[in-house]
Amino acid sequence: MSNLSKLSLKRLILANPWGILIPVITGIAATLAGVALLGISGWFISAAGLATAMGVGIVFNYLTPGAIVRGMSILRTAGRYGEQVTAHNHLLGLLRTLRLWVWDQRVAKDAANLHEQSRGDLLQRLVSDLDQIIRWPLVVFLPWIYALSAYLAVSVFAYFITPVLLWPIAIAAVLQILLVPYVCDRFASHAVHVGQILGVHRRSRFVSLFSALITLTIRGHWKEYAQRLGELDERQRRMEIRIQQAVSTGRLLSYGVTILLIASSFYLLCIYTPETQRWTLLDGVQGTWVVGYVLSLLAVNELVLPLVQSFVAQGQSQVGLRRLNQLHQDAQAQPEGKIERIQQMVFKHWRGFHPSSGMGNNAIDFRVDEGESIWLRGASGSGKSTLLAAIAGDCLSSGEAIINNEKCDLYSNQTYQIHISYLPQSPHIFQQSIAANLYLGNPNASDEQLWDVLNAVGLADWAKNLPNGLETLLSSQGRNLSGGQRKRLALARLLLRQTPVLLLDEPFDGLDKATIERICHSLENHYKPDILILVSHVGSRLGDNARVIEL
Amino acid sequence: MTREKGTQKARRPSRIKTPEAIFLGQLATQQSSKYRVAQGFAVLFAVSLVLQAWALANVFSDMALHQSFSISLLVVGLLALLIRALANFGRERICTSASRDIRYGLRRQLVSHLTELGPARTRIEEDAALSTRVYEQVDALDDFFSRYKPQVFMVTLIPCVILLSVVSISWIAFFVFMLTAPLVIIFMIFVGHKAAQANRRQFNVLAMLSNQFMDLNQGLAELKRLNRTTEARGRLSDSATAYQKTTMGVLVLAFLSTATLELFASLSIAMIALYLGLGLLEILPWQVGSAPVTLTQAMFLLLLAPEFYLPLRQLGNDYHAKQKAEAAATDLLEILDARAHATAAEEREPVAQSNLASMVDQLTSIRFHNLSWCEDGRYRFSPISAVIHQGQRIWLSGESGVGKSSLLHLLLGFEEDYQGQLLVNGKPFHEVSLAAWRAKLAWLPQTPEWVNGSIRRNLLLGIETPSEETLQAALVESQCDAFIRQLPAGLDTKLTELGAGLSGGQMQRLSIARALLSKANIWLLDEPCSGLDKETAQAVLATLKRVSKGKTLLIVSHDTHPILWADKHWVLNKGGLHEQPIQAIA
Repeated sequence: MSNLSKLSLKRLILANPWGILIPVITGIAATLAGVALLGISGWFISAAGLATAMGVGIVFNYLTPGAIVRGMSILRTAGRYGEQVTAHNHLLGLLRTLRLWVWDQRVAKDAANLHEQSRGDLLQRLVSDLDQIIRWPLVVFLPWIYALSAYLAVSVFAYFITPVLLWPIAIAAVLQILLVPYVCDRFASHAVHVGQILGVHRRSRFVSLFSALITLTIRGHWKEYAQRLGELDERQRRMEIRIQQAVSTGRLLSYGVTILLIASSFYLLCIYTPETQRWTLLDGVQGTWVVGYVLSLLAVNELVLPLVQSFVAQGQSQVGLRRLNQLHQDAQAQPEGKIERIQQMVFKHWRGFHPSSGMGNNAIDFRVDEGESIWLRGASGSGKSTLLAAIAGDCLSSGEAIINNEKCDLYSNQTYQIHISYLPQSPHIFQQSIAANLYLGNPNASDEQLWDVLNAVGLADWAKNLPNGLETLLSSQGRNLSGGQRKRLALARLLLRQTPVLLLDEPFDGLDKATIERICHSLENHYKPDILILVSHVGSRLGDNARVIEL
Repeated sequence: MTREKGTQKARRPSRIKTPEAIFLGQLATQQSSKYRVAQGFAVLFAVSLVLQAWALANVFSDMALHQSFSISLLVVGLLALLIRALANFGRERICTSASRDIRYGLRRQLVSHLTELGPARTRIEEDAALSTRVYEQVDALDDFFSRYKPQVFMVTLIPCVILLSVVSISWIAFFVFMLTAPLVIIFMIFVGHKAAQANRRQFNVLAMLSNQFMDLNQGLAELKRLNRTTEARGRLSDSATAYQKTTMGVLVLAFLSTATLELFASLSIAMIALYLGLGLLEILPWQVGSAPVTLTQAMFLLLLAPEFYLPLRQLGNDYHAKQKAEAAATDLLEILDARAHATAAEEREPVAQSNLASMVDQLTSIRFHNLSWCEDGRYRFSPISAVIHQGQRIWLSGESGVGKSSLLHLLLGFEEDYQGQLLVNGKPFHEVSLAAWRAKLAWLPQTPEWVNGSIRRNLLLGIETPSEETLQAALVESQCDAFIRQLPAGLDTKLTELGAGLSGGQMQRLSIARALLSKANIWLLDEPCSGLDKETAQAVLATLKRVSKGKTLLIVSHDTHPILWADKHWVLNKGGLHEQPIQAIA
């Protein structure tokens, strides 16, 4: 599947056509064996009884049907096993494909939208949507195929008894495979969709209310707010009832169709003799065959019952797909042209701002040349961080940026971003080892380089004292690190990149004087960038030697 | 008697009842009347099953032998089939409704329990994770209550009914059933345990994989800046492929055991069929020349044989429902077992009303006398004695973990299990009307409390709408007016968890505005400046100093953010409370 197109249920099947073909084939084999098992054993017993009654029991060949019955039961079990294994293999392959699809969509997103999507609960929902969708072939598509093939097999059997039986079979098949699931879907698909959406809604209201729990409680209004939460729950419950009603009723209808099918089959096969109050089979119709036929109809009934509830999974997958497709992103054209080593950056009427609130810095003009350092200062709320993020191409901006005498669009421009290293206020530390986190800066760094850079940010002693050294695994978002350590580790990672431009947002927050001094020393010597732009409310030697721009 | 057997069977896999099993059992007894009706339907189902087999067996044998059959028997057979479907329908409706009642009731209970826990809830888990427990984990109980629980009864009932109806027809078939049934059950328990283990392992790996996916996605912006998205994609792809391999290894074995079980059941059926076939042909080795059963009886046995094993196999399929429910129950019990101290709060309301209501109208003093809070043998904070007079502003500092926040939670009325005395205006705290007391409080925590909604809605959270002038005055006083004016939508700007681009200092100022609007005269502040940089913190504290004149204040703050304008400086440590002079550093 090509990675930058929209998803649909059809594409889920076609994502790996050979992968789905094997479970389909083994599953059909198992289904047919299951139907044949009941049909043949019914025929076998009744034929054996008939043979004895007619006195030909001794010559009756009981070995072949007996062997077939045993063979069918083995085939059914083996086929079911093969189907389960291969279908799950396909399902896991699908999980991989879908995750990579999501990844590609998100990589193609621009920075501001990416931040919007990176919220924990959104990602959590994404993960559960993926788990929901991959089950679709297993719970909707495959059962439907099996029911269809079972009906086909019974039709062939019925044709040999008498072709007129094909009529009721065709009608029952249409009812059970198409109409009943469709009616259930019409009745409850709205509830399935609403239920899915309500689930998300309810959760966010829960989090919203509980995050203000104390204020609401001491104001004595908690009950009113909690009641609204209860109302959402009540709505969800009504949806659940509706879905359950549709499933149960559908199953009952399906059962009814089977009963009618059996009754009408008998009606077509027999003539009624009023004197004896008995029905007699038509000439040429073998009683033993009819027994087998009725028994196989009962087997088919077991196969069509699960179809009724498949619409629930269908609806849930559709909602999941729709949400995933909202991530869909057409490939973005990256600006042409290569940027050589950055020697000069000029900004005219430059203003960075957040898309949601429009807040940012007041437009300014400034220029930075190679070898220069700049300290951006300003009161809280003057937009220093936003300005820095805009220079890093991480945030929306207005005005002009001229890099090496050429006008350049910085926002989400990867050719430009290769040349800069930007330390945001809260950088992300990955759940990997310290070394793996550092290798993200430079995959080819030697051990010596890693220790050097850790030393430069004052983390070498700490890392040496860890039992596993550089191989120490960091927990989720670096929670086992202090804020200062996290930031310094991210800084070390950036320094390994050796880019000409370094943009630092509050690198000294929460650090003691000695460590600040150590970092300043490194940034002025071995790790000195060509251009440094610093945002900091803490004074430092780095700042003292820099040109100050007040916002 | 059969019911007892059913519960025994449910217990057998775990042998000793775990707290989870007891918890699930208690929940189920809430709906015992519905489950009894469901059992009634199950009996109807079993009876119609036998009736249907009997009627159809007669029809079939007549048809095979005489090419004709009695219409009434056919009608009986089809009616029995219909009753079976109806009984199933009824059983399903009743069981799902029982499951719904249990789950939605439990959820209400959980939400109200969490409310009573108040700030203590964060000791269990953060809010987002709690919401997963309250919604997803509660729903994870559905399969257990709607399918597994009733199925346990079916598993006892149906084989018993079938055995009873078979015993008079064929001793051999009876013994085949009797011998194979325990084997199937033992095998099923064995398989169930194996499958459960495999499931758990697989679940852990899956959780790790999801975690990796989440982690990489959250850091995607960082990876893009570092230009390493392709490497990360490779990592995702590799680990997914590796996961597919290991999981398939586990699944191949897990499915193999279920398949063996199925094969075992179908071979038993084939054995019975072979016995019946040979018997009908009168060539059984030990009784050549005579048939042990008639064709009708043989048909009857053949129709019942699969039904005998079906409930067992279904229970095997539903076994994971039990596993899932027990895992969820562990999480839910953790919430319910957390002690809520404010449970008495509502009950004591009437008592309090009769109590001197005027007492809290005007606060004169809050007095701690040897007040301590001991939980599980460990001091949350050591005994303290001190007094806060009306209008005093007190700075409380101390190392983290000495119980500064616990003291605030106690004053908020969420904890009642304290030792010593807490006196408000000389009256014991627990005699004061909690609602009236709380109405006097304003709460300004480290991270301001916001609900999703506009700034206006958040400012007026839980208070009566004041006049526009009052609102504006409060905004001016807390110095919010300037930045709110800059927002495109002003006071109607939506606040989300992200804060809609407002800085920490701005959010804290909004909290101050809210406290002013609430007209509360006792302010409790828990490290209001800890997330802010020095400059911003100074500015916020300056505002606080100005607006809190005349209010009674208890402000917890680290030494890094000294409250120099406070009337008193208390230091809390393991030894208790000490008053320190405020050093004028400035």
